[in-house]
Amino acid sequence: MVVYSFYIFDRHTECVYVKSWMAAEGPGAAPVLSASSDDAKLVFGTVFSLRNMVRKLGGDDDAFISYRTGQYKLHFYETPANLRFVMLTDTGSASMRNVLHQIYINLWVEYVVKNPLAPVEHKGGAGVNNELFELGLDQFIRGMM
Amino acid sequence: MTVFSLIIINKAGGLIYNKTFHDGGLNKISTNDYLVLAGTFHGVHAITARLNPVKPVAQPPAPGTNDPPGRPEPSSGLEVLETENFRMQCFNTLTGTKFLLFTETTQTNVDVTIKKIYDLYADYVMKNPFYSLEMPVRCDIFDRKLLSYIREINNR
Repeated sequence: MVVYSFYIFDRHTECVYVKSWMAAEGPGAAPVLSASSDDAKLVFGTVFSLRNMVRKLGGDDDAFISYRTGQYKLHFYETPANLRFVMLTDTGSASMRNVLHQIYINLWVEYVVKNPLAPVEHKGGAGVNNELFELGLDQFIRGMM
Repeated sequence: MTVFSLIIINKAGGLIYNKTFHDGGLNKISTNDYLVLAGTFHGVHAITARLNPVKPVAQPPAPGTNDPPGRPEPSSGLEVLETENFRMQCFNTLTGTKFLLFTETTQTNVDVTIKKIYDLYADYVMKNPFYSLEMPVRCDIFDRKLLSYIREINNR
């Protein structure tokens, strides 16, 4: 399994955290980040539109889980407070919803929410990119790959 | 095994066909909402193709020839969407027409079903001399064949 990148968006639709593992790829194709911060905006626009589309068709309790293209798979998890976790992996990987949930409860809540120095709103990613969160996330993802 | 509905979107993002096969699978939404949904999906599909994190690799030349490497395979857009209540498969034809099939989450062999629907579309819509391209599909025989094919799947 290959994880390409990971994004967190807050309830103000701002991207508060991005991480990319593009260097760790399999043989053959050599993935690179196609664009810089514009990618985060495109990712948000996509998940936002798809989530609204899914809610319209499947009812308000329905939740968008993932989509797959010929090249990659995008996984989505939204907390009740509208915090959105997005992960891009290769097409073969199974549902990562529980993984995103684990990241939320074991890393986000532990190291960002419970950090007394972190602000309530993470404007520009303030308070999210602390050492413990960064390290924990990297270890967790590399453990899966 | 239930197929909920089928939507066909033309290459410009306009809704040209929309049929519900099973009541209660998806919420009922107005025709206007379906048009909005088709347009939105068309845009999202284009974005999902651009988001591709895997760098396209050039096709190796055919062995034994001196041809330069071929152009890389263009990245495909969204193919399968999964949610808690349904699953949507998208088939994008070479000319850009999109077939969206909404099914149960556990549905299997959807790509076979969708290819068969494309066959029916080619046979009874494209070969209909009174059908004008990119316009809404109003072909009785296509409706009939499609309904009987889907009924067969839903009753399996």
